[in-house]
Amino acid sequence: MIQKELGEVIITIKDVSKTFPGGIQAVKNFSAEVYRREVVVIMGPSGSGKSTLLRCINGLEALDHGEIVVDGIPLDDDKRNRLEIRKEVGMVFQSFNLFPHMTVLDNVNLAQIRVRKKTKEEASEVSKELLRKVGISDKANNFPAQLSGGQQQRVAIARALAMKPKVLLFDEPTSALDPEMINEVLDVMKNLAREGMTMIVVTHEMGFAREVCSHVIFMDDGEIVETGTVEHFWENPQEERTKQFLSKIL
Amino acid sequence: MEERINPRVSFYSRLKKRVFLFRSPWIDILQYTLLVLVIIWFLAVGTSNLGYKWDWYRIPQYIFKNVDGHLVAGSLIEGLLFTFKISGVSLVFAIVIGLGTALGRLSDSFMTQAITRIYLEVIRNTPLVVQMYLVYFVIGPIIGLDRFPSAVLALSLFEGSYMSEIFRAGIVSLHKGQLEASHALGLSTFDTYRDVILPQAIRRISPPLAGEVISLIKNSSLVSLVSLTDLTMQARVVSADTFLTFEVWFTTAAMYLAITVTLSVIVKRMEKKFRILT
Repeated sequence: MIQKELGEVIITIKDVSKTFPGGIQAVKNFSAEVYRREVVVIMGPSGSGKSTLLRCINGLEALDHGEIVVDGIPLDDDKRNRLEIRKEVGMVFQSFNLFPHMTVLDNVNLAQIRVRKKTKEEASEVSKELLRKVGISDKANNFPAQLSGGQQQRVAIARALAMKPKVLLFDEPTSALDPEMINEVLDVMKNLAREGMTMIVVTHEMGFAREVCSHVIFMDDGEIVETGTVEHFWENPQEERTKQFLSKIL
Repeated sequence: MEERINPRVSFYSRLKKRVFLFRSPWIDILQYTLLVLVIIWFLAVGTSNLGYKWDWYRIPQYIFKNVDGHLVAGSLIEGLLFTFKISGVSLVFAIVIGLGTALGRLSDSFMTQAITRIYLEVIRNTPLVVQMYLVYFVIGPIIGLDRFPSAVLALSLFEGSYMSEIFRAGIVSLHKGQLEASHALGLSTFDTYRDVILPQAIRRISPPLAGEVISLIKNSSLVSLVSLTDLTMQARVVSADTFLTFEVWFTTAAMYLAITVTLSVIVKRMEKKFRILT
């Protein structure tokens, strides 16, 4: 694991609960703190509430109970605060969610132009630099459908980075990819982690976790079952449920 | 080459393949010509039984007149231009109303949902003719609307209700990830709709939307009921003046057909041009 100095707390999650209309409680009394430059990996079986938690952090799901504070901004019913948080928190989705009617460059440009009020030229300059960084500068004028899954996900990362977010959330970024494309995406993510980006990643990629992650949260049934360093999970997980799960994915 | 029939290949794909492989456009043209000939023969037989005397040579003056060496629009063309005008104006309002209603039905506000829902149910469950009369005789005088604006109001309220359902279908058919990605990027609701949702939705709904535009043009013929001189009204006048009933109504039908078919072709072209790769 890489060593780096962590900063102060950037995200505080306190006692968060979320129940869906069908009565399913996706997240139960979840509390955690994330420090600047930290990479947190959330693991757990499907349906354990990982994605829901992530979606709560940038306000895609409303909280039933509890509070979330991102970089001093409370996530509450105030629409301006929500918008502020979304500007500071980038998100990368399992299904990429690129805008299919726009070129790759326009996908990365859009939020810079609309939210950061840049001109098209300024935005394009930043976008091209970001596309170079994720290794797809030659596809800038292609449409998303002309790219492979791995390339699309890298564009999605560039698009999220274009807003210069303080935190990046990854919701199973490699789960929809063919195996040979997983590494190209993970490599981009590892580089970001080394540069000091604060990241919360829902993934089962243990290799990624071992290399860059400082903190692992194992969830089941909406609750934290166990948390600790990667070494802790790798060498001696305590809970029975954790051992059971790890034995299946390793 | 022998083609084996694979039951798993759908009927339509086989049909398409055949058309693609073996059909020359001349076969279509031949079939079409035959069909037209058969129809003409039927009409000829039918009208000669009725003892109807065709006087087609008297029709052109109602299309274009020669006044002092200048070609001037005849009354049918004047009517056609009016039909264009009222359909065009109503179309703009219908799109605004339709889009507004669609967004209203998708909004979180209970009141907005209720109002748009009531509007839809009322408009779609009463005949357009009744609405036209209601607006012209009742609402028009109350709020001081003239004949033309009240006809536009009735037409656009009617078409707007159908368009709103098409808009709504187009919007909800998009993957919700598109909305989430826009939110996650910090785009405002307005920007999300303008840049992400509507450009995709409109491409998807262009065929049914074109159908609604065509139906708007056809329904505009009802404005003749409130004495507006559109194509249908002019045709009625000409046929009453001349007793050229068959010729006039055939010509009128052909004029409507010419507009609507042209429109369909344009929309098809645009659909191809703006298609999104998937």
